Amino acid sequence: MGEDFAFWLAYLTNGKHLAFYASFRFTILAAVFGALLALVFGLLGAMARNSRFAPLRWLGTIYIMMVRGIPDVLFFLFFPLAFEQSVEWALSLSVCSAEARAGSAWPPCPAANLFFSTTEYLILACVSLGIIFGAFTANVIHGAMRAVPRGQLEAGRAYGMSEFQVLTRIHVRQMWIYALPGLSNVWLLLIKATSLLSLLQINDIVWWAGQLGSPNFLPQAGLVHGDWRWAYYTVLFVFYIFVTLGSEQVFRRLTAWARRGMPLEA
Amino acid sequence: MGLLEAIWTDIQLLAFPALFNIYFAASSLPIGFGLAVLLALGKNSRNPVVSRLSSAYIYAFRGSPLFIQFFMFYSIMLALNPIWWRPMGIAWFAMSPLFIGPLALVMNTTAYTAEIFYGALRTVPKGELEAARAFGMSRLQVFRTVTWPNMIRVAWPAYTNEVTFLFHATALVYFTLPVIGNQKDIMNKATELFERDFNVFLHFSVAGLYFLVITMAIFFVFGLVYARMMRHMPKERQPHRPRLRFGPKYIR
Repeated sequence: MGEDFAFWLAYLTNGKHLAFYASFRFTILAAVFGALLALVFGLLGAMARNSRFAPLRWLGTIYIMMVRGIPDVLFFLFFPLAFEQSVEWALSLSVCSAEARAGSAWPPCPAANLFFSTTEYLILACVSLGIIFGAFTANVIHGAMRAVPRGQLEAGRAYGMSEFQVLTRIHVRQMWIYALPGLSNVWLLLIKATSLLSLLQINDIVWWAGQLGSPNFLPQAGLVHGDWRWAYYTVLFVFYIFVTLGSEQVFRRLTAWARRGMPLEA
Repeated sequence: MGLLEAIWTDIQLLAFPALFNIYFAASSLPIGFGLAVLLALGKNSRNPVVSRLSSAYIYAFRGSPLFIQFFMFYSIMLALNPIWWRPMGIAWFAMSPLFIGPLALVMNTTAYTAEIFYGALRTVPKGELEAARAFGMSRLQVFRTVTWPNMIRVAWPAYTNEVTFLFHATALVYFTLPVIGNQKDIMNKATELFERDFNVFLHFSVAGLYFLVITMAIFFVFGLVYARMMRHMPKERQPHRPRLRFGPKYIR
């Protein structure tokens, strides 16, 4: 019994496991910053959809249709790769010779070849998450803006506020109450999408689970364990369920707080 | 080579891989549909054990990423391989991505679809159920003549969304399961083409185009089915057909 406990304690705190625990930071960072960017893109998208300028409205519609009709994995891979290549292309204009650029090889010359690190890929992952879920957020915010009672806006106007003041002091502030349930949904989707980070060569929890679970053989110790990947992936499965449970609780409290003072049924 | 020619080449190259995506979706949807009806009835059941278990299943599979579920199922199948599949002589079948892929997708889509059906079940008018019972119908008859027609009509637009999301989810299959020989799906082939000439814009756009077109086709076909389901309603009161719009609750 004691021996077992000592083994598990030693096993679960070895260097690789500590690195595994530390890799949770990538998931958390991607979720938090992805959500912030999604909020920014969502606000912009909602404004574009409400715009009186037609091309901007079309842009909003196309943005939403693309995100809706194409899998998020495709976007998630496409955006960082496209960004990398665009930067490489811009770089090649200055560092590569003209004949190298005329050729069909990519990148045109070795000097224009970029190697992104984990940090850069993480930033790009956050931006792609922001773009994908920004479309969903835009839709939620668009709906919430329309749900704000007209009377409140008219009251603002009657007080002599300008259109901009009505927008920032009343419309956007009242909108959150109606947007919260939808935003909660988008957040739950976004958390689930953070499991894709390993596709961008980030050594996140999914990657570590695969590494740690694979049959482990050491010359000194013999076979430490067989194929334990199923256990590691099941732990991640349970981890995500708990994150979902926790998020729902937080959003429930947040909604209760945002709705304080409002009549119950409205 | 012109741009149009390059796009045409890509369209041809991705046609065969697209069949794999269609296979994964088409093989898991009917099974998931049937199981989801049972699971929704289970969640709606008055028996607390059945209801709790069904709710827990739905919550677990909707609350965790499909990406992890794929890894989990594959690794569990892998761990069971030496003790079950190989002695039974069915390893070639049980370990094939063409079996594990639909298996994981069925488990997943069952949960999402069951939640949709459960929501629809709760909108079935109580009066109609009571009337059916007053006529002396058996439980099966009540289900067949009252519950089912009401439920499926309410659930259909949301189910259409779920079908498209499941189709999109098939893009994840070969990121998690081993690729055997020529068995590649759209994303896999697009990534392979990309690694050959690094033309991310061309290959990924064509891959996206495939998903977009098939998504539109799904909406069209399911819209026709919906129109037929709603043919008893007067024209002006007929709800809109499901369109390419947001149903963010149902994404994975």
